[in-house]
Amino acid sequence: MSADEKFDAIIIGAGPAGAACAYVLAREGKSVLMVERGVTAGSKNVTGGRLYTYAMEMVEPGLYKRAPLQRKVVREQIMMLGTKSAVTVDYADFEFGEDVPQSYTVLRAPFDEWFAAEAEAKGAMVATGILVDELLEENGKIVGIKAGEDEMYADVVIAADGVNSLIGQKTGLRSDITPHLVGVGVKEIIELPDDVIAARFNLSGDEGAARLALGCTEGTSGGMFFYTNKGSVSLGIVFNPEQAAKRGKKIQEILQDLKMHPAIAPLIEGGTTAEYGAHLVPEVGLSGMPKKLYRDGLVMVGDAAGFGINTGVIIRGIDLAIVSGLAAANAVIEADGAAAVGPLYEKQLEKLSLMPSMRLFAGWHNILEMPRMFSEYPALANDAMRFMFTVDGKVPARMDKAMLQIVRRHVTFGQLLADGWRGYRAL
Amino acid sequence: MSKILVCYKWVLDEQDIRVNAADASLDSSRAKYKISDYDKNAIEEAVLLQEGQGATVDAVTFGGDAVKQSLKDLLSRGPDKVFYIADPSADKADGYVTAGVIAAAARKTGPYDLIICGEGSADSYNQQVAPRLAANLGLPSITYVQSLKLEGGRVVATRKLGDCTEVVTVEGPAVVSVVPEINKPRIPSLKQVLAAAKKPAEEIKIADLGLSPKQLTAKTVSLTVKGFVMNRKNILFKEPAQADNVAKLVAALAKEGVC
Ligand SMILES: Cc1cc2nc3c(=O)[nH]c(=O)nc-3n(C[C@H](O)[C@H](O)[C@H](O)COP(=O)(O)OP(=O)(O)OC[C@H]3O[C@@H](n4cnc5c(N)ncnc54)[C@H](O)[C@@H]3O)c2cc1C
Repeated sequence: MSADEKFDAIIIGAGPAGAACAYVLAREGKSVLMVERGVTAGSKNVTGGRLYTYAMEMVEPGLYKRAPLQRKVVREQIMMLGTKSAVTVDYADFEFGEDVPQSYTVLRAPFDEWFAAEAEAKGAMVATGILVDELLEENGKIVGIKAGEDEMYADVVIAADGVNSLIGQKTGLRSDITPHLVGVGVKEIIELPDDVIAARFNLSGDEGAARLALGCTEGTSGGMFFYTNKGSVSLGIVFNPEQAAKRGKKIQEILQDLKMHPAIAPLIEGGTTAEYGAHLVPEVGLSGMPKKLYRDGLVMVGDAAGFGINTGVIIRGIDLAIVSGLAAANAVIEADGAAAVGPLYEKQLEKLSLMPSMRLFAGWHNILEMPRMFSEYPALANDAMRFMFTVDGKVPARMDKAMLQIVRRHVTFGQLLADGWRGYRAL
Repeated sequence: MSKILVCYKWVLDEQDIRVNAADASLDSSRAKYKISDYDKNAIEEAVLLQEGQGATVDAVTFGGDAVKQSLKDLLSRGPDKVFYIADPSADKADGYVTAGVIAAAARKTGPYDLIICGEGSADSYNQQVAPRLAANLGLPSITYVQSLKLEGGRVVATRKLGDCTEVVTVEGPAVVSVVPEINKPRIPSLKQVLAAAKKPAEEIKIADLGLSPKQLTAKTVSLTVKGFVMNRKNILFKEPAQADNVAKLVAALAKEGVC
């Protein structure tokens, strides 16, 4: 093995987790190789997307200013869809856009490509268009990677290869994914002129809106997301593939129905679809994570490690990926000897508040897995609104009685109690 | 050992270019670049010769500032060294100018036993550069090459001509242009990508090529480039019963005279 064939760290995958890790390691003078199977970084990646800025600030203050970000999110919207109606909550908070804005919408292709180039500029070697097939193991320790015929060695290998981590499976740390562990995300980027986006979503300048909707997946666990970019909007759905299969609905049909909804169609009218993609999403939070995130000579970061938080109104994956990449980089820098990296990585995950956040939201998927969250409750909200706003010259029912009737139409009190209890326990 | 020069063009990926429906103008604002497809065959052929019988392979490209992005990709495909001429004037260059620039560069970096080009570029496919380059350098030109051998100083090439082939032999040096049938360009391996980072890339300034303003002025001026748009009718049938939708579809197709 020549000196050129050995690195301090080899990172598999140039998503946000891998790029953040490569950036920090290279900046601190480590020799780093990042290998990505896509022709360019980001070419394979699908995200809603919104990026919570704090993660970039942790990597390096001000770094986000160089990134090709889209719009700073000041409008947080929740929509509950009925068949031909919608209840929309629009929370505008302009402080979210001040100083370091809280979050930005992102398009992954330019973002990932930029981040990988930043890592390269700091001295990391980035090899794209190359699939890592195997890990090299000696005496129970991971010592490198194999891509095609080529072998490459490193003190530490960092698996940043995403949700369906083959590398994680090869180490034995992860089992093959099962349908209930993941959601399926389908997404489109629809191009629209900026003035049209600004008018439709009530935005000015570089402000953006993020919208999540329930009730759009016809009772299949899941939700819709809507993000405004520069010159385009991203929209898509994330849902449970097991339930969708049982209902016999095709992915495209669910998304198509959604786009035709009378409350959604006018938002995207006249737009042209520029991109379409589908991807898996780690869905069950803490309980879906492997018990151990490292082996001698290897650590797992980002989606590969199962970092993901979905509260129904907040979807977090990119930020957690970046912070876990940073945690791994810090561990490699601190460690004397490869064996120390894994335990230090776990410490960093605590210190950077990643594991504590995962633990706090550990039960949330129980709420989101309640099928009623996606059908009965949104329908109930719409019926209640219809009652309140209907004037047809007849004598309306008394408010209290009518409301009770509406509730009964959708759920029994037993179900309500059970869901309430389940929700309470999940917090 | 023979010395080979391979020429390539860094072009916009046509898949990323979009046509504005309103005026058929082209929007390439989000287009990425790539090495022109047939040039990948040219590079692969040079590298096969290099591997098969030992040769040094230089590559040369002339383009706008963006050509610098191409160097890593190019070198990972096997050539030993790349020369690039990055100048904004390349945007307006035609085959005459490009061949002139490359010929001047090749005179500086050569001499070469063989110069290989792609048959045409993925963007304009004018098939001008290789024959003009040959004329410019006073060398024989062999086009439409689908298989190639170097036998000592001699170039043996099979040309693909419609429904027949022609085998030609010339005393080298020569300029050949290759068609895609000649080989299947390989995907660079990890080691090749890493090795590319250590290979030399040298810029040649257009001003140092000693070309006159006339030689740098295109003879062909493109007036407009427009996309071809097929307008969709965007008719949606939304009857509750599928049979009604089918009936309406058939009626609509019949009205258009397509069935
Ligand atoms: C539809 C959808 C919407 C989402 N919305 C949001 C959102 O709004 N906000 C948010 O924060 N998160 C969102 N997420 C989650 C977010 O996309 C992920 O959490 C994030 O991308 C994880 O980053 P990563 O770097 O760990 O993995 P990835 O981004 O998946 O990157 C992994 C990389 O590794 C490469 N790779 C894989 N295997 C190999 C191999 N063997 N060899 C070489 N390279 C390999 C892949 O090509 C890829 O580039 C969404 C996800 C989906 C699917």
